[in-house]
Amino acid sequence: MVTKTEEAQVNRLENQVDNGGGGDWEYLCLVRKLKLRRSDKVLKHGLSILNEPKKRSSLGPDEWTLYEQVAVAAMDCQCLDVAKDCIKILQKKFPESKRVGRLEAMLLEAKGSWAEAEKAYTSLLEDNPFDQVIHKRRAAMAKAQGNISGAIEWLNKYLEIFMADNDAWRELAEIYVSLQMFKQAAFCYEELILSQPMTPLYHLAYADVLYTLGGLENLQTAKKYFASTIDLTGGKNTRALLGICLCTFAIGQLTKGRNKEDKENSDLQSLVATALEKDYKQRAPTKLSLLSSTLKSLKLSS
Amino acid sequence: MGGELRYQVGQNAYIKLVLHALKHKTSAVNGVLLGRLSGGDTNPVVEITDSVPLFHSQIGLLPPLEIALIQIEDYYGAQGLNIVGYYHANERFDDFELGNVAKNVGDHIHRYFPQSAVLLLDNKKLAALPKGKDGSPVMQLYTREVSRTWKLVESDGSSQLISKDWLNPELFK
Repeated sequence: MVTKTEEAQVNRLENQVDNGGGGDWEYLCLVRKLKLRRSDKVLKHGLSILNEPKKRSSLGPDEWTLYEQVAVAAMDCQCLDVAKDCIKILQKKFPESKRVGRLEAMLLEAKGSWAEAEKAYTSLLEDNPFDQVIHKRRAAMAKAQGNISGAIEWLNKYLEIFMADNDAWRELAEIYVSLQMFKQAAFCYEELILSQPMTPLYHLAYADVLYTLGGLENLQTAKKYFASTIDLTGGKNTRALLGICLCTFAIGQLTKGRNKEDKENSDLQSLVATALEKDYKQRAPTKLSLLSSTLKSLKLSS
Repeated sequence: MGGELRYQVGQNAYIKLVLHALKHKTSAVNGVLLGRLSGGDTNPVVEITDSVPLFHSQIGLLPPLEIALIQIEDYYGAQGLNIVGYYHANERFDDFELGNVAKNVGDHIHRYFPQSAVLLLDNKKLAALPKGKDGSPVMQLYTREVSRTWKLVESDGSSQLISKDWLNPELFK
């Protein structure tokens, strides 16, 4: 998961490299460190380094890491010949290597030879039962074949052992959302918030799921989590601000006639509205009138 | 109703939704279709003149969808256009089924515009686009039956779709 500054840095480098301004090795290292999925760029720029003997030798021992990175990118872009070549070179340099064996299994997976890939992964796991990447490849294979419930099963098994893997929790949550299993998705986000309570993204996603679930209690909790997102982002998160408007409106719809929380609600509403207007004035002044009418339609009937 | 209801997809709408799908190759994308119903009773046509991309992640969640729909209705309503449909491209390459999320959004739009359409994009055809050989549309059209299910509509090729001319190979390098 990347912060805004990290993302801006990567995009800037990507632009620079795309326009021939150099910095390819720096870009590739950053993509690898942040575990981003930009396979077409990695393939293009990685290959341009690997295919030039001078550039390649200047990398020293990092050359092999680059071969691995380009092999995976090639598989993602379905350029299986390129991937095969990279893997062959790595095999020559590191015969009997488990890490290369893993790449070979991934190549089988990329080709669509699911049964053979499954066999390869199982045998690799016998030697190294704690290889997280391989465990996750099995869930990925199930998802790729359309076996979503299988993917859920694999991921759940994986998380029983490696419960600190936040990326896996996020993937599982997103799978549940796509299947509209919102309660289960909410559980995943709860785990994420417990493990990283200062990450606003999880609060926001949790609030979104609770709102989608609906019901008065969920809406009230959702509002609290939208508010905590605003707190953690210093008021800069537009989605959370709009989320509060939606929640207040929906709660108002459900509690018509009970005016216990009215004063508190209208205070919060006007605060949020002011913050949104300020935000739009700064960043999207042309859309200001659109925002005003949206706010009006959410305020009028509450 | 005199004639059979036809659907016309305009160039701008088509280009936008294809580009949206191609930009986010590794996730599902969706968006709304805008247009109007014209032709009266004798020759009813749903003209899809524009499209607005919505999301490429976390598609099933309500809050962003609701805000987007409110703003879109407002903006395009002022131009005399309605939300007439929804487009969706699945995450997996060979998944060509109209999923539940798509059906739900389609149902919601149907409540406000009974002749609404759902376009499901064909990922295999999208991938073949840069090669420029296939000029046929990259999607299937679904309309809602009385039985509350979404039915696939056979394309008779008479929709106002794009020819190969606009395919600019540089665009999809």
